Amino acid sequence: MTDKKTDKETIPAKGKVGVYICYCGGNISDHVEVEKVRESMEKIPGVEVARTDMFMCSDPGQEMIMQDLKSGTVDRVVVASCAPSLHETTFRSAISRAGANPYIYEHANIREQVSWVHHGDQATDKAIRLVAAATAKAEGLKPLEPIRMEARQHVTVIGGGIAGLRTAKDLADCGVAVALIEKSPFLGGQIAQLERLAPTGDPAADIVTELAGEVLGDPGITVHTCSLVETFNGYVGNFTLGVKKRPPDTDCEKLSSLNPSGRTPGEFIPFKGFYPESVAARAEELSIETGVVVLATGFKSYTPRRGEYGYAEFPEVITLPELIRIMAENKTTDNCLEINGRQVRSMAMIHCVGSRQIPGIHPEDESGNFNEYCSRTCCSATLDTAGTIRQSYPGTRIFELYRDIRTYGRGQEELYEQAAKNKVVFLRFEADESPEVIRSNDHDDFPLRVKVKDVLTFGEEVEVPVDLVVLATGMEPNNVSELVDMMKLPVGPDRFLLEVHPKLRPVELPVGGILLAGTCQAPMDVGEACSAAAAAAVKAAVLLGRGYVELDPFVAEVDLEKCRGTGACVEACLNEGALNLVEMEVDGEMVQRAQVTSALCWGCGACVAVCSENAIDINGWTLKQYEAMVDIIVADEATA
Amino acid sequence: MALVNPNFAEEMERFGADAALECFNCGTCAAICPLIYEHFPRKMIRYLQLGAKDRIMENASELWRCLHCGLCTQTCPREADPGEIILGLKRFAVANWRRS
Ligand SMILES: Cc1cc2nc3c(=O)[nH]c(=O)nc-3n(C[C@H](O)[C@H](O)[C@H](O)COP(=O)(O)OP(=O)(O)OC[C@H]3O[C@@H](n4cnc5c(N)ncnc54)[C@H](O)[C@@H]3O)c2cc1C
Ligand code: SF4
Ligand code: SF4
Ligand code: SF4
Ligand code: SF4
Repeated sequence: MTDKKTDKETIPAKGKVGVYICYCGGNISDHVEVEKVRESMEKIPGVEVARTDMFMCSDPGQEMIMQDLKSGTVDRVVVASCAPSLHETTFRSAISRAGANPYIYEHANIREQVSWVHHGDQATDKAIRLVAAATAKAEGLKPLEPIRMEARQHVTVIGGGIAGLRTAKDLADCGVAVALIEKSPFLGGQIAQLERLAPTGDPAADIVTELAGEVLGDPGITVHTCSLVETFNGYVGNFTLGVKKRPPDTDCEKLSSLNPSGRTPGEFIPFKGFYPESVAARAEELSIETGVVVLATGFKSYTPRRGEYGYAEFPEVITLPELIRIMAENKTTDNCLEINGRQVRSMAMIHCVGSRQIPGIHPEDESGNFNEYCSRTCCSATLDTAGTIRQSYPGTRIFELYRDIRTYGRGQEELYEQAAKNKVVFLRFEADESPEVIRSNDHDDFPLRVKVKDVLTFGEEVEVPVDLVVLATGMEPNNVSELVDMMKLPVGPDRFLLEVHPKLRPVELPVGGILLAGTCQAPMDVGEACSAAAAAAVKAAVLLGRGYVELDPFVAEVDLEKCRGTGACVEACLNEGALNLVEMEVDGEMVQRAQVTSALCWGCGACVAVCSENAIDINGWTLKQYEAMVDIIVADEATA
Repeated sequence: MALVNPNFAEEMERFGADAALECFNCGTCAAICPLIYEHFPRKMIRYLQLGAKDRIMENASELWRCLHCGLCTQTCPREADPGEIILGLKRFAVANWRRS
């Protein structure tokens, strides 16, 4: 003990480090001897105090840290607790509240990286080494200032479906200028393919017309249809998008052909969408300077494989969106629904087509993907359509074959009850015993039969004679791989874009200044897509509201005393523009020296690795700090 | 294999069983029924929903086990009136007895 004390005097401490070790209510302390970790830390030179708490993130825990800072006992802080993604910001802000610089902070993860994966002495030993390393690093921390950049008061929304329209309008209402980029000639997205919106029965056309009208009428919003983002540069607050507007390949002629009534821009065209502007005659390129980007690129309907439930093999098998369209375009007052010239006396609707697929049971698609998720809207849409048919065409009997009925939201369970009142008959199948659609070989003049082991009939095999089979196809994310590559966005295993945190930050992406709205993130109905869109609008407004954005200062810094201007770092730099050689005067002589553009620097360290002079370093992660960490990890006596 | 008859449930309305398609197969009636017999009465109601006439006639004698205590009708969450459905099925069975 006593000679440790002499150590402390002979090795001058760069900072007075306080180490705060958390029990996490047993999560950590059940496997790590927290008090032993504390004792070891107390022996490390440079450590002024080491303390423990049941929950360091609690108010008393934070207060303890703040007290030590305020009293001047410590000027560097190490917290050893859960993953930094959970509470790093908590502790940084506690440090700020104590009046200190939040970057004098270092985090050691002894929960996810220790107590949850190791047990016994080894757990304690690893915890000691990790906390000691953090302590060694903390000694060399210096106060930093976040990089502050002016933010452009402008948002670009990509995708003109209901979510994109909602985001654009909400932002314009906040006084933020908006550019809306839509790849097709139409606004409204997928709901233009629908007639009635479950569960309320609102006409889809009215909803699109109302919102698209508001968007087009708003002077703060510039709409670009037939447009795609081709290039992407910059950082939060200051992005530059290269956008290409081009006449649609085939659509020009089709557009005029679907225009028999001489439809003009500003009209809703059924099953196309809202037609906001004449299609550009020739390609055009534009550059958009913007502060925040909101992705609202939506979904596409699942297309069944050939032969999946007889699709594309039997003309009597169609998808739900196909049915909706045919019904809308051939409204009659007959007793029976008529589809493709055939009276439908009996029809089957099969749920979960292309959704909730199970590896080993369902075949993968040509790219090896399974849609393991529930598409969430098809149950309600199917029940709603069944209800419409039963009421308008009482001569048409309906059988719904489902795995589960998932009418999860307000007003949706009623659709299920209503379907029974409308005399829809339900049959239930197990995932591994999907129904089979077969040609009828009987003389009952129904062309098809749906064969199923019906759970509701005690597993008996049942055959339903039908004139029509409708497949309740689900959602798949639109292919936005170009945007994903350009913007370096995370994609979930389900191929939808992946938010930072499903509960706490549901519309944010980890790339600063890029947000999510609607079904590009996950299956949602229109109400949910609009909620997400409104949330994204608020997040964008918050980001821009202060007029500037702050970026983490963990970027490269050149030591001009050492730099000799070889330029090796510039060549190694991974982000063009982040590092340049510039002319400057040193000792009365014009020389070339490296210069960092902080806002563009990723802090990756590629430059540090190549500099022979050790003249460039990353703030908060210097080579010296790494060395100190490695030294203490391998030095057994420090951690004994 | 049971072949579904899409029109049967409607035919049965004539026999007084007009709420059978409201049944969502929860099985509450079978749980409360004092007979405690092979999913009775739900099983018969299910055959009615599908129009599986053969199954109904094969099992018709079971219909006469019913005590008409009314417990099922009291507890059915969908107000499908299972007790009345059993009565209706009896009428149907009688009307079709000789022919089958
Ligand atoms: C069969 C079916 C029935 C449904 N029924 C109902 C219902 O009854 N009630 C209900 O509430 N919901 C229903 N839904 C869900 C509803 O369709 C969605 O909630 C809604 O369409 C989602 O809107 P969105 O804006 O997120 O996406 P989308 O409508 O898909 O809009 C996305 C837009 O982005 C554009 N885009 C895509 N990629 C790019 C790009 N790279 N650059 C520029 N633009 C791009 C697209 O062209 C499109 O206009 C149903 C869905 C299905 C499949
Ligand atoms: S909403 Fe219903 S039909 Fe659609 S995937 Fe989910 S369970 Fe299946
Ligand atoms: S840290 Fe990376 S991005 Fe920054 S200047 Fe060095 S090489 Fe370039
Ligand atoms: S209780 Fe009612 S709804 Fe449930 S199975 Fe019996 S008849 Fe059907
Ligand atoms: S009425 Fe008949 S079916 Fe219903 S509970 Fe009583 S005995 Fe059972």
